[in-house]
Amino acid sequence: MSVTSTTGKLETMGKGMVGQIDKGDGPTFETVLRTRSNTLFDEAIGCLRSGDKKETRKFLSVAQARTFMQTVAVAAKTKQFLKENLHTSIRGLFYQLKFTLGEDIDEDLFTEQSESNGLIEDLEVALRIKREDLNLTTDRKGFVAGSMTIMDKFGGDETLIDLAKQGRSGWSIPSDVDNGMEIKKCDAEYVLVVEKDALWQRLNEDKFWKKENCLLVTPKGQSTRGTRRLLRKLADRGLPVYCLMDCDAWGWYIYWTIKTGSMNLAYLGRDFAVPEARFLGVTMKDIRDFEFLQKLTIKAKDVDVKRAEEMLGYPWINRHADWVAELKEVIKTRKKIEQDALQGQRLTFVGEYINNKIKKKQWLS
Amino acid sequence: MADSDMIANNFKEHSVAEFFKKNRQMLGFSGKVRSLTMIVHEFVTNSLDACEEAGVLPEIFVQVEELSKDNDHYRLTVRDNGPGIPKSHLGKALGQMLAGTKFHRYIQQRGQQGIGASACVMFSYLTTGQAAKAISCCNGKRISATISIDFKNNKPIIEDLGEEPTLESGLTVIAEFKDVRHERSNHGVYEYLRRTALANPHCGITLIEPNNETAVFPRSVPQNPRKAFEIKPHPLGIGTHDILEFAKLNKENKRISAFLQNTFSRVSAAKVDELQGLIPEVDFKKDPADMTWNDAELIVKSFSKVKWIAPAMDSLVPIGKEQIETSFRNIFNPEVLVVTERSPKVYRGGIPFMVEVGIAYGGGLVSAEKRGEVMRFSNRVPLLFDNGGCAITETIKSIDWKRYDVKNFDEEPLAVLVNLASVHVPYTSAGKQAISIEEDVMDEIRFAVMEASRGVQKYLSGKRKAHEIATKKKVVERYASQLASDLAVLSGKKRSEIEPKIAKIIHDKYASEANEEEEAKPPENPADKAESEGGDEE
Repeated sequence: MSVTSTTGKLETMGKGMVGQIDKGDGPTFETVLRTRSNTLFDEAIGCLRSGDKKETRKFLSVAQARTFMQTVAVAAKTKQFLKENLHTSIRGLFYQLKFTLGEDIDEDLFTEQSESNGLIEDLEVALRIKREDLNLTTDRKGFVAGSMTIMDKFGGDETLIDLAKQGRSGWSIPSDVDNGMEIKKCDAEYVLVVEKDALWQRLNEDKFWKKENCLLVTPKGQSTRGTRRLLRKLADRGLPVYCLMDCDAWGWYIYWTIKTGSMNLAYLGRDFAVPEARFLGVTMKDIRDFEFLQKLTIKAKDVDVKRAEEMLGYPWINRHADWVAELKEVIKTRKKIEQDALQGQRLTFVGEYINNKIKKKQWLS
Repeated sequence: MADSDMIANNFKEHSVAEFFKKNRQMLGFSGKVRSLTMIVHEFVTNSLDACEEAGVLPEIFVQVEELSKDNDHYRLTVRDNGPGIPKSHLGKALGQMLAGTKFHRYIQQRGQQGIGASACVMFSYLTTGQAAKAISCCNGKRISATISIDFKNNKPIIEDLGEEPTLESGLTVIAEFKDVRHERSNHGVYEYLRRTALANPHCGITLIEPNNETAVFPRSVPQNPRKAFEIKPHPLGIGTHDILEFAKLNKENKRISAFLQNTFSRVSAAKVDELQGLIPEVDFKKDPADMTWNDAELIVKSFSKVKWIAPAMDSLVPIGKEQIETSFRNIFNPEVLVVTERSPKVYRGGIPFMVEVGIAYGGGLVSAEKRGEVMRFSNRVPLLFDNGGCAITETIKSIDWKRYDVKNFDEEPLAVLVNLASVHVPYTSAGKQAISIEEDVMDEIRFAVMEASRGVQKYLSGKRKAHEIATKKKVVERYASQLASDLAVLSGKKRSEIEPKIAKIIHDKYASEANEEEEAKPPENPADKAESEGGDEE
């Protein structure tokens, strides 16, 4: 019998351990090793994911007993969250679990949040779930505007949200876009992700998303889990995802995290990656193509050059010839440019620029 | 040349007193603390030997009184419950140098160590001008006398002789000394008597120190040790001076050849011929009384060139394994105690000896001031001085204690007793406080100490591992209750059913780990049969 619900998975895990104990064995917990050495790039799906190396934690081991007990405690506690249908942050979970082990035991179940954070990731891997499935929330950051309606079941209410009617502020992407959230209607033709909120606001004012019939998204810097999941879901609906970032180390990093996932969350694999994403700009070619941009470049810092050199070493990047050429040019010219520079000539230039690039298919893979 | 040889030789030429003054340190009277300990040693060993020979369980009383702080003036009283000394022998025993009963006997006895009680009486007389007082209760009579020495003629002077009937038995000697000092140090009287008690569990000792503190070392074994067999000396253990002494005391043999044959063991007529062949310049037909120093030296040299049958081993009287164990328990109450008794061996090709070692660890030693204490004994007599050049000290130093789980020998609650029993102990000097570096002897000491150390190690490592396993178990146990409650939530089963099962798997896991530890130990080597007493008592 295959169990699909998160509660069912937690229960199966508990029953398995009790079964081991019934047989007179020490209970064990198997998870996938979350180390750099067990992180690999999956060429078939185009994202980073964990390898096959497993790790077995034993309760009957001095070195692992505490961690084992804590893992089970996190599992039991989140099972209760699910049962009560209440959400909390991983910090909230930590405080729920920060209590003494007993009157005669001078030790707390948890003393640092860092202890519980890792265990949540262990459970995600072992049970093939996301922390959001455990009713654990994460910080929100990104915003969306566009032609899409969403049904949000939350706190007992069901709210239909029209992302085209969010005014100047846009719809704030929640931490969990999977549970209790449903895309009812989506007429947009593509997704545009802009790195900075400032540019998002500029384009929102122009009603760019309305004119172009797209979904205008900003992660406001590095993408949260919620933003990445949303992009993944939109890509799954067949929407192309175009990204407009700064032409510098940070911009590239934000883009590649969206595209292939990050090392840290490699264990989550394709669920949090959008290998279909495309890099519209800003590119080195733009500097050559638009005269006004040439005056707006900034001298690349050592960190940018170093990052470019590192990226050339990553197999998931250097397999793209366009990116190799782009990065080599950065290293050679030692120039970088911000996306804001596109407003240098005229505020409305950005929209034309994006339009043009998409039409002419001038993007990096 | 051995110092003792010189002593005897010089007696003829110089006045005894003069010789004594010049050569005090050679007799062991060097240093104020050491002098007092040596004096106590002389009287106490005499008492012990006398009691044992008479078959009496020794009960020794020692009192040290400080008469004047300024010039190190003390009064010493030593009393025993032995047979006493008959009036006729009293003067000789206490007032004549080299007239002791032991000098011409070849028997494993303590008294061989020192220069004798007479030397102490002389020391008293020389430093204070006072005669020593002796009270001897012997054969129903209580004889009291003062004894001093006529230095010119090496004769005792007995005065104030009194005699009355008594039911008691024993000897009391009271003498005053200057140039000595009482001190509670490693070299003092207290330590000497404590160790004497340790190596002589059949005797009870009481000490009253100058501050009126009374220390009692009670008897822990109600039985005297087996009497040592008197054996003829083996040629290999004989020095030039010894031969001369024997020759002087010889009465029945008219020729050196007969003297050699009848005085020493394993000397047959054939051997005498062999010796004569080696040293034709010595006239073997000569009266032994006419033997010169040179003759004696040549004979001793020739002894070492001939092959001898080893002497009889039953001449050795060890303290005994059980006795050491009992007295260690009484004095240290250690946590673990291992005693090793090696079988007799010979050194220098023919002198029998045997080594006993006791190692105590922990328990009462934890609170003791001393750490890594080495207690040296020869024929049960504590060796307190000259530990630097002693074979026992050297051997113990040379052992890699870390191999025996003893991290730092000098800082552990550890006491090591080494007793060397031999008819002829190879001392480094006439002070007789250190054993000379004899390969064969050192090897035996090393083997014995290592053997005992293995026993201690076995206990220590077993204890450490048991402790480690118990600690591991505790670590895991403290999480059991929380785990049970969370597993109940997770699985939907009852906590009351899960918790006892978790307790059981923890118990089983660490019980089996302890068993594996037990099985992993190498099979016991018969050569290592050092018993670990402490380990069995749990």
